[in-house]
Parts: sequence; C-alpha cells; structure tokens
Amino acid sequence: MRRSLFSKSVLTVICAFVALFARAQSLTVDAPNVVSAGEVFQIVYTVNADVDNFNPPTLSGLTLLAGPTSSRMQSYSNVNGKSSSSLELSYTLVVRAASAGKAKIGQASVQVNGKTISCRALDIDVVAGGNQSSGNQSSHQNSQSQDNDQYQSQNRSSNGTISDTDAFLSLNLSRTSVVKGEPIVATLKLYVKNVNIAGFEDVKFPVFNGFWSQELEVPQNINFTRENYHGQIYNSAVLRKWVLLPQKTGSINIDPAELVCQFQVRVGGGRRSMFDDFFSDSYQMVKKRLFTKQSTIAVKNLPSPAPADFGGGVGQMQMKVSLSRDSIPAHEAGSITVELSGSGNLNLLEAPKVNIPADFEQYDVKTTNNYSNGAAGMSGTKTFEFPFIPRSEGVFEIPAVTYSYYDIKAGKYVTLSSGPLSIKVTKGSATGGSAVISGVSKQAVANLGSDIRYISNASSRFSSRNSMFVGKAMFFVCILLLAALTWLADRMLVRRARLRGDVRRRANRRANKVANARLKQASGYLAKDLGSAFYEELHKALLGYISDKLAIKFSDMQRDTIVETLEAHKVEKEDVDNFISLLDDCEMARYSSASAYENSAMNAQYMKAVEVISSFESKL
Amino acid sequence: MKYLMSKYSFKVLAGAALAMIVLVIFPYGASASSETDMLWRKGNDAYSMGDYSVALENYLSIEKLDKVNEHLYFNIGNTYYKLGNTGKAILYYERCLKLNPANQDASVNLEIARMGATDKIETIKGVIFVEWIRSIRNAFSSNQWCLGGFVLLLVTALLFLVYRHFPVLGIRKLSFVLSCIVLVFAIIAFIFSASLKAVANDTSYSIVTASHSNVKSAPNATGNNLFILHTGTKVRTIESAGEWSRIELADGRQGWITSVDIEQI
Repeated sequence: MRRSLFSKSVLTVICAFVALFARAQSLTVDAPNVVSAGEVFQIVYTVNADVDNFNPPTLSGLTLLAGPTSSRMQSYSNVNGKSSSSLELSYTLVVRAASAGKAKIGQASVQVNGKTISCRALDIDVVAGGNQSSGNQSSHQNSQSQDNDQYQSQNRSSNGTISDTDAFLSLNLSRTSVVKGEPIVATLKLYVKNVNIAGFEDVKFPVFNGFWSQELEVPQNINFTRENYHGQIYNSAVLRKWVLLPQKTGSINIDPAELVCQFQVRVGGGRRSMFDDFFSDSYQMVKKRLFTKQSTIAVKNLPSPAPADFGGGVGQMQMKVSLSRDSIPAHEAGSITVELSGSGNLNLLEAPKVNIPADFEQYDVKTTNNYSNGAAGMSGTKTFEFPFIPRSEGVFEIPAVTYSYYDIKAGKYVTLSSGPLSIKVTKGSATGGSAVISGVSKQAVANLGSDIRYISNASSRFSSRNSMFVGKAMFFVCILLLAALTWLADRMLVRRARLRGDVRRRANRRANKVANARLKQASGYLAKDLGSAFYEELHKALLGYISDKLAIKFSDMQRDTIVETLEAHKVEKEDVDNFISLLDDCEMARYSSASAYENSAMNAQYMKAVEVISSFESKL
Repeated sequence: MKYLMSKYSFKVLAGAALAMIVLVIFPYGASASSETDMLWRKGNDAYSMGDYSVALENYLSIEKLDKVNEHLYFNIGNTYYKLGNTGKAILYYERCLKLNPANQDASVNLEIARMGATDKIETIKGVIFVEWIRSIRNAFSSNQWCLGGFVLLLVTALLFLVYRHFPVLGIRKLSFVLSCIVLVFAIIAFIFSASLKAVANDTSYSIVTASHSNVKSAPNATGNNLFILHTGTKVRTIESAGEWSRIELADGRQGWITSVDIEQI
C-alpha cells in the first residue's frame, strides 16, 4: 500500500516535469546595444506563457518614459487534426538614454505558475553626439529582423554624394602578429551611417595568398546591427567571415576587398512638402565603390629547432593511442589508432610516426577527419589509423608514440606521448578445413636498412708509411741468409757423408788384415790341436770380415741378409755357398763335443776359409 | 745412428731459419707507442658513442704523427662517411685498400660510399686474364705475399737438400722437380709482394675532395671549362704545374684541375 502510494507520487512528479518541459517558458529581452545620448528607444520583454506578475528591471543611466505596457498575442492552429496554440506576452518599456557612457538594464523577471523566470541584464553603450533622431521608430525595432531594403534611416546627405564616413568596408582581423599555423579570424564588415542601401554589385572578396582559408560565415541575408565604431553609431553587417591559417612566414599583405554599393540619396533638398515624398521622384540611386584598407599580417616562424616528431600542429591538442585488439591471431588484420583532438590547424596535421614491428605487414595510413571550423581554427578530432597484419606469433612491443605540436598559449612545443603498447600475437587459426598441410610461408630476410661496416677495433701496430718488407735491404739480407744456411747445411751433410764413407773404407781396408790376423790365430790353435778355439776364431774371422767389408751391423748378421747382401754385390753363387757352408760348419763344430774335432777336416776348412776370403777380397 | 743425428740437425736448421725470417719480418717497423694507442682507443670509443667529430680528431692526430696502418685509414673513412663527407671517406677507403687490397670491409664500405658520389665514370676494363691475375694478387697484402715467398723459399731449400743427399734415387729426382716448382711459386709471391708495394707507393692517383671543381683546358683560371668533377671521383695525375694538376679520368678524358681540390690517395 505504502509502496503504491510512493510510486504514484513519483509518477506525478515525473508527469509534472514532462508537462513543464513540454512548454518551456522563457523570457527574452530585446534592446539595441548602442544608442546615442538623448535617444528614445524601447526595451521589449517577451514571454511565451501566461504571466502572473512582471517585475520591471532596474534602470541606471536611463530614464523611463512610459511602460511597462503589455500586449498579448495568441494564436490557434489546426493542421491535419492536430491543434496547437501559442501565446506571447510582451512588455514594452520606452526609455531615454540620459547621457553618454554605459547604461545598465538590470534583471527583469516574471512569475509563471508560481515560478520565477528571469532574464539577463543588459549593458547599453550610450554614445555622445549621435545623429539618430528620436522619432525614428524603426531603428528601435529588432534590427536583427530587418532587411537592408527595408532599412530606413534619415538621409542627411542632400547633395547626392556619399562620404567615406557614411559608408565604408572594413576587414577586421582577430590578430595581426601570429606564428605560422596560428588561426586568424577575418571578418569583412560593411558600415553605414545615415544612408539607405539599395543593393550591391561586383563584390570582390580578398584572395588570401599565403593562407589556408576557410569561410566561417556566408550570410544569405545581410543583417545590420548597431555598432559603436570610434564613438559613432553605425549600422554594421557581416558580409563574410573566414578563418585563416598562415602558411608562410614574413609580413603577408591581404589585398583589399571591393564592392560597389548602391545608395538611395534624396535629391533636391531645400523646401520640402509632404507631397514631394509621394509625387516626385526625389530619390536618386548613387553608386559608390567601397574598398577595405590593405592589411598586413606579420607571421613569425615557429621556433627552431622543432622536435623530430613535430607534425605541423599549432594549437591545443590531446592524443589518444589505442590498439584495435590487445591480442590478435597471426594473419589477421589489426590497427593502431592515433586520435588527435583539440583545436588548431587540425586539417594540416601530418600523421605521427608509429614504429610498427618490422615483422608486421603494414598498409597505408587511413585518416578520418571529424572537426568543425571555428574561430580557433578547427576543433574536433583527427584520427590516423595504421592497419597491419602480424605474420608471426609472439609478444611485440610497440614503442611509445610521440607527437609534438606548438602550443600557442604557452608559446612552446609540447610533446604528447602515449605509453608503450604491447600486442600479443597468438597462433593464427588454420585457414579452411582442408587436409592440405600448410607450411610456413617462406620469405627472404628483408633488409631493413643499410649502413657501412663498423670500424675496426683491432689493437694494431702503427708504422711509418713505407712499411712493406719486400725490396728492403733486410729482405735481401734474409734471402742471402737463407741461401747461406742452405749452403751450410749442404756442406755439413756432404762432410758427414764423407766421414761415413771413410769409416767404411777403413773397415773395408782393415777387413783383410783383421781376417788374416784371426786366421793366423786360428792356424795357431790348429797346430796346438785346440778344436774349440780354432772354430771360434775361424767363425769370428769370417763374420768380422763380412761385417767390415759389407758394412753390415753385427746385430743384423742373419744368414738371409748376408746372402742378400752378397748377391747384391754380385758375388758368385759358388763362393756364397762355400761361405755359408763354412759358417754352418763352424757353428756346428762350436756347439758339438770336443772329441769330434778331426785335424784333417779342420785343416781343410782353414784352407777353404782362406780361399773364400781371398776370393771375396778380389771381388768386393 | 749417425743417420738419425743428421736428420735432427736438419730440423734444427730449418726451424732456426724460419724463426729468423718471422722474427725479422714481423717486428719490422712496428713502433707502437702508448700515445698512438691512447689516441686510437679514444677514437674508437668516441665512434662507438656516435661522437664522430671527436673520433675523427683523434684518428687524424695519429695520422699526423706519421703513424698509419690500414685499420686507421678504414676508421677515418668510416668517420668521414658518418659525418657526411663522401669525398674524404672515399679517399681514406682507397688509402686503406692501397695498404691492403685484401681488406674486405674497406671494399664493401667503399662501394657504399661511392653510391653517394655524384660522378659516374665508365672505367675501361682490362684483359680478363690480367684482371684475374690482379685479383689473385689483391687477395693478400704485400707483407703476406712476402712471408709466403719466404716459406716457399725455405721449402725449396729443404727439397734441394733432399735432392742432394737422399740415398734413394727416385725421391731425389722427385724432390728436384718439386724444388724447382716451389722456387717458381716463391718468385711469383715475391713479384706480387713487390707489385703491391709499387701500387702502395704509387702517388699518381687522387680523389676529388672539393664538392665540385671545374676541369679546364689549360693550367690557368681563364682556360675553357671542359667538365665539372664532383666529390669522390678518382683521377690520375699526370703532371703538375704550379697550383694546377693535369688529370686523367678513368674513361681517358684529361684536363687541368686546381691542386687544392684533389687529394692524393
């Protein structure tokens, strides 16, 4: 129960709010912003609802002449069965500006359904010496709704000419000293005073050479507002408004704008009757060419040196860097988005440098603009998208993206930096369900850059310029030394060989002698009939002779070597056989019993040995 | 026994000879002082830090002491290249290659540096056989050829001794033939070594180091301009007259150039 009550009350409040906002009441005020001293004008308050009570504003510097007088306007309409009604209540105050200076209109408020609605306070410039007639009612009306053809103003000139102070063109520049790329707002305005304008012709807008220009306002209707221009009240109209971005440095001239204006000028002058206005054509069309003055803008260059990552931006900017996905399968497309937001020359920004890993396939940068033109250049965002396709798995680090712009307010370069980004590339899904075994796509090792080879770090000896050995004295000394050494070695070898030859010859020569001595000894033993000693001596004599004669070492004294050596020396087979049989006999006798020695045999063997040795002696 | 003795003494002799040659060749002219070593290390450190102008200063002060080698020239070339002075870089790479034509790094870097040179001059190719011989010669430095020549000469001597004293006739014949062949190779090695030395001492080639220079028809400023040479171009000087040098390009064109615009390799 309580709950339903609560919900009902909430519903009621919501309904009330809906009803309230469905017909939002507002109180608007309308008054000229510039008047001349002593001028009588109206202040009109309008409210679109039934009003319980109107609290008039406090006035300072103004004298209230009449009012507030209220008027009520109500209308009903039925369109296609839908009926709507509107109600407008207006309160008019007629005041006079007392003296030159600032006049203030305080806050006024109305009470609608017990609710107070108030409207803003106004400041009004009161200009001394204005020529506005107090009787000219139309000028006090809402000047915003007036068209130039309907504009009425008392014509002071009666001689048919328009002076430069009556009508002129002016190009207002928001700044005349800027840095390159800093936005300037240029406003082309027409100022008139006391003349009627019938029309324009031949409008030539300035060509902004050296600037990137963009039209901000291209009004279809020329709306005049009152403006205080150097203490004079003029009716001014904005013809066109541009935003300019200087593209070069130095002082740049802006060519004058031109326009031919047609004025309605009353002719005749003198005595005027009230009929003249109706019956005689007392107005004359006067054409006058209006120019703006040539204006000059001093453009300074941006301070140098600019940071390496300066992208041409001038203004105020923020940067947001994001990856489309933090984790991405290999061979699928991803992107890094750099969003630059703020105000300034967004249209002229260059893409920041993003170091996408070299292993990724990279594509062209996609640029998306989302900004609107305004007094501060462009404001909004500019988005750079860097598409890529990773080709291998792993975790890749993308270094922080840095971007510099020139901050006009701070007067220095500001570097924006994102943190380093990390992207994880997972294994790509197999393409399709086919049974084909897909290998890794092979690719050549790509050169990322080229450079000269690194310096030599060899700890090297330095030498005077001509350090090549060949052809120097030392070179020839070395060659001679080598030749001398070779010669020396040769001599040494020759001498050694000769010495060895001597030893052999001596042994050869000695062989017979030694053999003879041994044979003599053996014959002695034979005479004494000492068989064992005889055979020993005979064996020694035979072997010693052969050893000395043929230069065979005692250790090599085998039967086969002896036979081979003898045959090599071309000894007759008979002698060799005799020699071998003698050796056999000696060896057999030496190791047999003493009783076996026969004197006759020993004698025969002795004779045979002498014979063999003498035979060898003649041949070896 | 005596035989063994003789073989042993032979080895000792050969070893002594080789050791002597090595000892004589290598320390020859090597006079590394602590000053040059310090400058060298400072230069290398500065280069690795990317401070090329400081590196260059150190390297050049070694060169000013008249102490050079191929590595120094190579590093100076690299430093000039990094400083953007293509002409000087080419000059020093050429100087490095003049000392050791077998320096691969210098050839590679010279190729890279030449890409930055403006002038493209068609060189007249020699006979293929001569080019081939030259490429063999350039495979080693002069001192390497010289050392190789001595080693071959030593082998010749050993083979000669074998021929003279080995008892087996067949081996003696073989070693004689071999010793003759090896001697021919030793002589070729010495010829290559001498030829490389001649190349290194050849002062006739220069590199244009001025950014551009007018080549005139006569050794005075009023002569007709024949052509313009840019930095990095190799020219051969034929003669000099005062401040002018008569030069010839690789394609055979000749003219006079102011001597300050070129620098001898």
